[in-house]
Amino acid sequence: MSSLPSSASTGKESGLRVPSNGKTIYHRPINRTKTSELSQASFAFLFSEMVAYAQKRVKGIQELEHKLNVQGHSIGIKLLDLLLYREPARTQLRPQNIVALLHFIKQNVWLHLFGRQADRLEKSTDAEKPDEYMIIDNEPLVNQYISVPREMSQLNCAAFVAGVVEGVCDGADFPARVTAHTVGEGEMWPGKTVFLVKFRSEVVEREAFLAKS
Amino acid sequence: MKVASKGHSLFRIDNTRRVWFSNSQDKIDILETNSKAETRFMVSPSWPDTLNLTLVSPDSRTVFSLIIINKAGGLIYNKTFHEGGLNKISTNDYLVLAGTFHGVHAITARLNPVKPVAPPPTPGTNEPPNRPEPSSGLEVLETENFRMQCFNTLTGTKFLLFTETTQTNVDVTIKRIYDLYADYVMKNPFYSLEMPIRCDIFDRKLLSYIREINNR
Amino acid sequence: MAASKASRIGEEIWKTRIDKVNAELVTLTYGTIVAQLCKDFEDDYPEVNRQLDKMGYNIGLRLIEDYLAKSNTMKRCSNFRETADMISRVGFKIFLNITPQVTNWTADNNSFSLVFDENPFADFVELPDDGRAQNELWYSNILCGVLRGALEMVQMQVEAHFISDVLRGNDTTEMRVTLIRYIDDELPPEDD
Repeated sequence: MSSLPSSASTGKESGLRVPSNGKTIYHRPINRTKTSELSQASFAFLFSEMVAYAQKRVKGIQELEHKLNVQGHSIGIKLLDLLLYREPARTQLRPQNIVALLHFIKQNVWLHLFGRQADRLEKSTDAEKPDEYMIIDNEPLVNQYISVPREMSQLNCAAFVAGVVEGVCDGADFPARVTAHTVGEGEMWPGKTVFLVKFRSEVVEREAFLAKS
Repeated sequence: MKVASKGHSLFRIDNTRRVWFSNSQDKIDILETNSKAETRFMVSPSWPDTLNLTLVSPDSRTVFSLIIINKAGGLIYNKTFHEGGLNKISTNDYLVLAGTFHGVHAITARLNPVKPVAPPPTPGTNEPPNRPEPSSGLEVLETENFRMQCFNTLTGTKFLLFTETTQTNVDVTIKRIYDLYADYVMKNPFYSLEMPIRCDIFDRKLLSYIREINNR
Repeated sequence: MAASKASRIGEEIWKTRIDKVNAELVTLTYGTIVAQLCKDFEDDYPEVNRQLDKMGYNIGLRLIEDYLAKSNTMKRCSNFRETADMISRVGFKIFLNITPQVTNWTADNNSFSLVFDENPFADFVELPDDGRAQNELWYSNILCGVLRGALEMVQMQVEAHFISDVLRGNDTTEMRVTLIRYIDDELPPEDD
């Protein structure tokens, strides 16, 4: 890797200046930070400021959740490629059906971002809603230090994580809307959160069609 | 082996470290107390060889309440942990207490004896100018029935803990409360600095921590 | 306090008292914050720099309490050189697991540089190739604000800014930090 001539790998001539040693990000092994750690406090402070910044520029809770969702979305798209790239060659395939995709999110994405899998995966029991699935996290890491004021009780800041999930789905060509909902469970899991994944109708149709063939 | 169950005042300990039982004439001497507040006793021949008791007497080690004062002397948090420990006073009284303590703290800091000031660095040398340590203000208030300890952080926020006069490890308790404050107040985007603290998770974590101490 | 002692303290806290998360969660989150600002301010990079500094300042005001609690700091630094060591070897260590070099002191001991051999915020970052970003954007500018906010809370007014960044094609990433004044050492103005 380190012998790559700078900018040769990008195909087109880059107009960016590089340090005199010629090192660019393309010289960095992509797995270098795969397992490195930073303090959770740094994440918490950045996330807190992201929420505070977004809050100043929106009118209501829905708009705030949308802003957080958008900020997570770009992360999801990148993560899909990054995590698949890091898989062993034979499992590098993109998920090809809804269940495989959701398992990938529940396991790989959660494990990478939060150090553990999501707690559960469920399909909507409502026969009218074959397009709805739920990823359940009993204690979202992003909400660990956040107390939502009573007057905003509809808000769940894990909308940011919903955006990540949405980004992964969109990137995998399973377009969906993903939203985060608090479903607190008493003293044990007061911050329990359901990520409601609602796939676009064509995704469900495609799946039904593929199942027949 | 006999273990005192939680929440019952089965014994009291006098100042000669002798234990008196509330329901009998037995009395025993304490041999040693370990860090988990488990105590070994010397027992009379009629008793089993060793007796392990965990100190649980609710009225001997109790954290009564906590108040937090902001940099300007305003009361931003006030929580009572033990009903009946201290008499109730009005919120207004607490506000006055916070403001008054803040003022007294500042004055007592000024009253502190002058410390020798390091001489200014000799011109021409590369010694950085020294910044003297500020003098501390009033740290403890004590009455017959309670003790109030103040922890003044380097940013000027004050944590006042009201406890039983015999309470031990108050420093450790206050530091742990500061940890909780740094996590569940400072990292909450909905908390505005210097304003009253309304953070559910902070309340919950604080209560469960203090409950642990009070039930020990 | 000696620099080596500060290093030991920083290491010890990092190992025993810090809850950790995957580094890429932090890197990606910071990236999405900068990208959002670029979008919100239509690639007006000087304005993005100002916004990052402001966000950092807000963080610094709060982060200092976490720093003091985690490091169990009960005494303030006795001079600005000690402050610089604590910033690098304890502060940066426990929040970002790096210890930037403290160097290039001015003769009056009021101004120094932090030189970053590593910067987790900038891992895998390439600035937009638009002919402007490399001249105008200070990608990690939030860090300047964090220092300004955190030190203000312990009664030090400082000024901090980047003077070079490998993302701009410089050979180093370097921040200048200058002490303006100790806030508490001033008496209120006398009434005439």
